[in-house]
Amino acid sequence: MNIQKLNVCMDILKKDLGEGFVASCIITTDDGQVLVATDKANIAEATLLNDATSLIRNALKTYPAELGQYYYIDVAGNMAVLVIPFGDYQWTVTINKKLVKLGLLLNVVLPAVINAFEDAVVS
Amino acid sequence: MKKDFKLIIDNDELENMPAIDSGMTDELQRWPLFGLSVGSFLQVIAMERQTCIMEVYLNAGHWGHFCFVQGELYDAVCGELEGEKAAMEMIVWENVRLNIKQILNTSGVARKIDKNLMLLLMESSRLRDEIHDGVQKPDGEEVEEEDEIDALEDVEDDAQYEKLNACLEIMGKDMGDALVAASISRIDESKIMASYRDAPEATAAVLRMTKFLRNSLRDAAADNLDDHYIVDLKGRQTLVVFIVGQYQWCIVFKNEKCTLGLLRNVIMPKALRAFDEIKLG
Repeated sequence: MNIQKLNVCMDILKKDLGEGFVASCIITTDDGQVLVATDKANIAEATLLNDATSLIRNALKTYPAELGQYYYIDVAGNMAVLVIPFGDYQWTVTINKKLVKLGLLLNVVLPAVINAFEDAVVS
Repeated sequence: MKKDFKLIIDNDELENMPAIDSGMTDELQRWPLFGLSVGSFLQVIAMERQTCIMEVYLNAGHWGHFCFVQGELYDAVCGELEGEKAAMEMIVWENVRLNIKQILNTSGVARKIDKNLMLLLMESSRLRDEIHDGVQKPDGEEVEEEDEIDALEDVEDDAQYEKLNACLEIMGKDMGDALVAASISRIDESKIMASYRDAPEATAAVLRMTKFLRNSLRDAAADNLDDHYIVDLKGRQTLVVFIVGQYQWCIVFKNEKCTLGLLRNVIMPKALRAFDEIKLG
């Protein structure tokens, strides 16, 4: 794990999302500890979403299907949460959904940050 | 063109069976599919929209058949039982032997079962759970199956179930091959209201997922889950769950044949309009 590159990931995210960016946090899936978090990051939420990912993985076995690159939760009000599970890590991104178009988020921002994240993890 | 089932016949297992008289061997060889649960095979036939007689053999005293026309369950016979009672009797059987016979002419086939197959499966599943939990009358006798079915009929609104299924059929027609599975459930009651190629276990699992996300957001951030969440799946598929009041729509579709934008902006609004009409009706 390259911490500098991890910070670069956050910078890419902030730049791509602009004013739509609210907060972000990367945790380890094993123990739910925070690796990197921005100012307004909700650590409790990120930790609970770590459990949610496990539950989703188990639930999908009934189809059967496997979790892909992300899941996106529409939250009441202006917020939405994008969760990117990545091996031993999980990246949670909170956005202002009124300011970020879902198509832009999933088709432009997400591939870019996944590439940067992958680079940071393997370095 | 008529579709045929591919029967997987394990003759080795037949040969390795304990020694029995030749008459019995002949009888068993009449049943090429074995070791299956009736419920799961019924779903396959319904999904494949087969027109056939599915013969079921549990043992010498328990056997019967189901009759399907275009995947719809028309009739069932088990001993002296007929129609829905016969179907409910046989649905719970496991490790049965099966035989499939095509029906070439359906003109003489009368429909004696009006209930949707998925509803029968859910009822039988619930009955089985209750029997396993030892539901008994005060005098120790087990609750009779007929009473259970009557009680369920009071709770379940078949007409609404059929209408909700029609909603999913509309979606199925719009999405074609892109739609993998779909269901409508009541979140508060954890009750599956309608289903399109979706196994009850999968729908129940997604209901648990929704409740967990709701609780997590409320506990951690004092936020509420809004009207949808999206789960990217491997194999270029997506699961989308729409929350409409106390109802949940769960949709799995193929990304290469339908985009998320098309689903959210065109298909889903149309389906929800039909859904609103049913709720208001």
